[in-house]
This record gives sequence, structure tokens and C-alpha cells, in this order.
Amino acid sequence: MMRYAILLMGAPYSSQAAHSALRFARAVAERGHRLEGVFFYHDGVHNAARLAAPPQDEPHLVDGWTALAADHGVPLQICIAAALRRGLLDEREAARHGKQGYSVAPPFELTGLGQLVDLGLRCDRLVTFGP
Amino acid sequence: MANDKALGVDGDLLVILRHGPHGTSWLREGLDAALVAAAFGRRVTLLFMGEGVTALVPGQKSGPLGQKGTSPTLEMLEMYDIDTLLVETEALALFGLRADGLMLSAREVEAAELDELASTHSLVLTF
Amino acid sequence: MLLHILNRSPATSEVYRQALAAMGPDDRLLLIEDGVQGALGALVDRFAALEGRLYAQEEDLVARGLEPLCDPSVALIDVEGFLTLTEEAQKTVSWF
Repeated sequence: MMRYAILLMGAPYSSQAAHSALRFARAVAERGHRLEGVFFYHDGVHNAARLAAPPQDEPHLVDGWTALAADHGVPLQICIAAALRRGLLDEREAARHGKQGYSVAPPFELTGLGQLVDLGLRCDRLVTFGP
Repeated sequence: MANDKALGVDGDLLVILRHGPHGTSWLREGLDAALVAAAFGRRVTLLFMGEGVTALVPGQKSGPLGQKGTSPTLEMLEMYDIDTLLVETEALALFGLRADGLMLSAREVEAAELDELASTHSLVLTF
Repeated sequence: MLLHILNRSPATSEVYRQALAAMGPDDRLLLIEDGVQGALGALVDRFAALEGRLYAQEEDLVARGLEPLCDPSVALIDVEGFLTLTEEAQKTVSWF
């Protein structure tokens, strides 16, 4: 058993990065490793968009990440600075910024970049998926 | 971490910056990761590779809409105790730049030395 | 030994040169996504120096219909093989 972390920096559907990351994440968890977190940075933060509505015959990435979190207890951490700039706010941040509605919901959580550094140095392996 | 290799550079985190300022957010977001790691007390090495060397060109300005660019961030590196700055020699040549003409003092490394850097840091992040 | 992961085609991007420059003598290179174009017989000479340390994700070749054009010198792996490569390497470095 090893401790893994994944860093995803590609937006969903724009590049294959999110699909590759999700597939790899499942393989890690199913082999019995501990996937200690998926960190979403750069355009990867768009993977947390709760309003994503892909056509029904396409893989639903938000649902895929949500299932990963539910099945294997994997934290889904979004860089807050990268997210806020791109209009990805959870209920609390939306209220803080006086916005109606919110675009990020659990199991995705907004967090600081320090979490990425912590994950990367704490885990045995960090695998990056870029666009 | 002791190491007996030629470069003698090691650390917790190696951040490889491969993009110039203004065109994309890669450079800024890579620097942000480096600053946060340093603020948490981690030893950070920055490597400016390929187009990334243009981040160090002196005389950068903000963009027409007020985009800040990255040179103000680079000027803060010393405050964060990030003092290991490396530039890829081949990339300097590609852009017609010289190490002594950059906005910050940086040490040149050959592409062939990069594998040593990747192995003497606990974590490598590419931007 | 490090595992380097490349997802860009050597036909359209110079990023593969960065990956090669950063690789040590025992490091491995895994081609994924559009990177698998580098496994084609017509392009694989870019990676000639790797001699047995070049891998490509088979499902990305298959999805693109490129598997029949893949050079026999490239080791094809599935996602399980990808995971095993990361287990065997001390760390991974991604090039994109």
C-alpha cells in the first residue's frame, strides 16, 4: 500500500487530462493504495463546476469525481485562488462575495495551495495530469 | 538531504517554469505554488526552462488592461527565501539572452544536468 | 529511476525535447494521450536514445486507430501498467 496524490490542471472536456486523471485515480484506489487527495489547479478547477451538464451519452466527469470521493473517501481539493478568479465559488464564498448562486458543492472543497505542497511532500507519489 | 552530485542543488520542491509572462497563467500559478511552499518553510528551487527564461527579461510592464504580469512576484522571491534560481543555458541561447542581463541573478544549468535536479528534490512540479 | 509522462505529440510540440533533456540514464518515458503519436514507426526515432525505456498507453493508441502503426520497440501498457510504472519509479514528472 502506497500513498498517492493526483494533481489535475486540465479543464474538463477541453483536453483529455481530466479523463486520464479520473481513470488513473480509480486504478490507484482499486489496487488498494491510499489516494490521499486529488488537487485541482490551473484550469483543472473547472472540474468542480456543479452546473456542468454534458450530453447524456458522454462521460459525466463531475459525477465521476463525486463517485470516486464516495466510493474511496478521496478528498477533492480545489485551489481557492485559481477557482475564485474563474467564477468557481462554493456557498460560503458566494455569500462572502455577495454573489447569487454558487458553482462548487461538496465533495469538492475550496482550499489553499498549501494543501498541494502538503499532499505532494506527504505522499509517496504525486502524479500530474496537465492539458 | 546530502548529495554528492556535481550541481550540489537539492531541496524539497523543484518548480519548473516553462512559460513566459502575460500569455498564459502558467508562470503566475507556478510561482504561486513556489511562494506558498516557501511560506510553509519548504526549500524551493526554481528552474526557468525553455520559454520560461523570458520571465526574467528586465523592463517588463503591466498589460493594457492592468494585468500585473509576474515581475512584481519575482521581485518578492528573496523575501520568501527563494534564492536558488536556475536558468537553462540552451534556452538563454534560444532567446538571445545572457544570464548577466536578467532581472534577477540566476545560475545557468545545462539541459544535461536537469536529471540530477529532478532526483535531488523530493517533489517536482512542472508549469 | 523516475517516470516521465508526456502527453504532447512530437509532431506538433517541442515539449518532448524538454522531457528528454530532463531524463536520467535509467529513467522511463510513458507516452499518453496525444503523446502516443510518438510511438508511431514514422516518429519514434525522436526517442531512439531511450532503448527499451519507452512506453505508450495502449488505450490511447487504440482510441485513435493508431495501434497498427505503432513501432514494435515501444512497450504497450494499460492503465494497470501505468500504475505499476508509477509504483516502480521513485517519483513522476509530467510534461504537457
